[in-house]
Amino acid sequence: MQHDFYLAWRYLRHNKIRSLILAACLAMITALPQALHRLLDEAERWMSARAEATPLLVGAQGSAADLVLNALYFTDAPAFISMGEADRIAATGWADPLPVYARFRVRGLPLVGVTTDYFEFRGLAPAEGVLPALLGDCVLGAEAAERLKLAPGDVLPTTPENVFDLAGVHPLKLKVVGILAKSHVPDDRAVFVDLQTAWVIEGLGHGHETGPGAGRADAAFAPLSGDVSAYTEITPDNLASFHFHGDPADFPISAVIAVPRDVRSAALLRGRYPDSEAKTQIVRPLDVTRSLLQNIFRIGALFDAILLPLGAAALLMVALVFALSLRLRQREIETIHLIGCSPLTVVRLMAAEIALIALGAGTLGLVLVQAVRAGAAEFVRHFVIA
Amino acid sequence: MFISFSWRRVAPYVLFLTVAATTGQASAAGSPGLKIVAANYPLAYFAERLAGARARVVLPVPTGADPAFWQPSAETVGEMQKADLILLNGAGYEKWLPQVSLPRLRLANTSLAFRNAYLRIENAVVHSHGPGGRHAHEGSAFTTWLDFDQAGKQAQAVADAIVRKRPEWKSVVTGNLKPLLDDLAGLDAEMKQTVAADFRRPLLASHPVYQYLARRYGLNLKSVHWEPDEMPPAAEWSALRGLRANHSARWMIWEAQPAREIAAKLKTMGIESVVFDPCANRPEDGDFLTVMKRNMEELKTAYR
Repeated sequence: MQHDFYLAWRYLRHNKIRSLILAACLAMITALPQALHRLLDEAERWMSARAEATPLLVGAQGSAADLVLNALYFTDAPAFISMGEADRIAATGWADPLPVYARFRVRGLPLVGVTTDYFEFRGLAPAEGVLPALLGDCVLGAEAAERLKLAPGDVLPTTPENVFDLAGVHPLKLKVVGILAKSHVPDDRAVFVDLQTAWVIEGLGHGHETGPGAGRADAAFAPLSGDVSAYTEITPDNLASFHFHGDPADFPISAVIAVPRDVRSAALLRGRYPDSEAKTQIVRPLDVTRSLLQNIFRIGALFDAILLPLGAAALLMVALVFALSLRLRQREIETIHLIGCSPLTVVRLMAAEIALIALGAGTLGLVLVQAVRAGAAEFVRHFVIA
Repeated sequence: MFISFSWRRVAPYVLFLTVAATTGQASAAGSPGLKIVAANYPLAYFAERLAGARARVVLPVPTGADPAFWQPSAETVGEMQKADLILLNGAGYEKWLPQVSLPRLRLANTSLAFRNAYLRIENAVVHSHGPGGRHAHEGSAFTTWLDFDQAGKQAQAVADAIVRKRPEWKSVVTGNLKPLLDDLAGLDAEMKQTVAADFRRPLLASHPVYQYLARRYGLNLKSVHWEPDEMPPAAEWSALRGLRANHSARWMIWEAQPAREIAAKLKTMGIESVVFDPCANRPEDGDFLTVMKRNMEELKTAYR
């Protein structure tokens, strides 16, 4: 027996490229379904955790999935509600409202308007600098800071919604005052400003010139000369002159995270939004996320359905390769017979080769699964959650 | 000898029990304490009386500055963000509020209960800029606490806000609220009694900050816009003469003691000066109650 394995091992070593390819193919066939399921499980865990940490969400009537994705992952907002909704929730006394305004993007990253309560709610603390204190301040998520290569004290101009709208609102020069510690959630890739700063970016608030060199722009408003690089800048000189016109209750936000006091308060609050004809809706992000994940699991089942025949076909191919290799090795087998070995010895030698390849494939498959397991969280955070 | 021996043995236990009881009391009293930031002194005073030593009440406005026209720095806002409760006067008093980032869940607008009774400022400046076209910067009169009935409602709002943050303090805060409301009711009654001597007596105010005082107690009051330490220009004196043609006031109410030359010039016109300090910032001596009582005594001279 020992001699069989020794001869098989020598043979496989002699044909190492072929043996390695065979072992790698078998390893991939066995590891792929497991790796895929591991990634799906990890995605489910992360998405559920984010949703679980957001008890209730109030937003515009329409797709609940869009509302959840916008408020939790800062995707494009489908529609907006008014700030008055947050006030109405606060007035019930059943829940603490946390308004979120994820409408704008700055250099491809979401620019999110929140109140400072949001940072406490999500457990976000600055690793460098401080949280926004004044109008025009912004704080960057850890990945956003890396990507934008910015540090506290730097300036980040907002991206105009429409560069051809010369009569529109000028971009605002945001002052970076802090960088949040890495939290491995979508907040890492966002730029946060105070809700009021977001409204200034939208043009709902403005300041007045209070002296030479201070005021709305550090470059002259010169659309006639084609200078579209004029910026609104909030400085210590003009800060006090910034104000809003109209009732802030009418100003837009994309959603309100409602944090109920207890289960009863949550039920009472949900009872306030029973009408599907109303302009607003209340959703439980966990329910919506679970529904989304069910779709992902359907995709997982589809993968399984595809992988099963694919795996079978691959195994047949491997069997074919063995069969062909046996034919190619006909002379070698005859030589084994001629030196006095029984046909059973040949069978034993072949079985030893298959066993060694299977062992190699199994080990390699195990390594692959372990590698996916170790990197799944980061992969999901980077490619799925973010 | 026996007694001395017993004490030596018992003393550590007595000490332990005393410390344990004290700690227990502090815990029951609601430790950890509460950091409260107040936008003006009357609110700070209410919070101090209601929560006592359990809370650390901070008035971030520097001494001598008018909280209504104060602008917090980024560092001050950072400190305010760390507070458990931020008491706002409301009625547009905190003009800095749209320019700072504060936790909304910790803000308490103490005048919200009577927001429908806010007095609008007349003759708001109309100007034009931006896509909004012509518009006016309208606002409300904000010295709400000079109506002592409203001050009582603000004290109630402060108490409610503290209890919301520390429900375990409810009995203590409610217990402290009663004498505070009684004091404010006493001021209200005294003020009514003072003015009742002559409702129609014309009075002048150096600054438009007495709107709620005038409304609540029926003062026949017209206002100019003077500063106590700044000699008004000739045009202002002439405007005052014009005002007096239909409003023959012999007393002018000031926020602080006017400069000697201003008081003297007023005297030549037959106008005496009397100080009614709104007490928006922490007084150099005394507290809100003593300042208001002093105000009352001053005002009584105008009604003699």
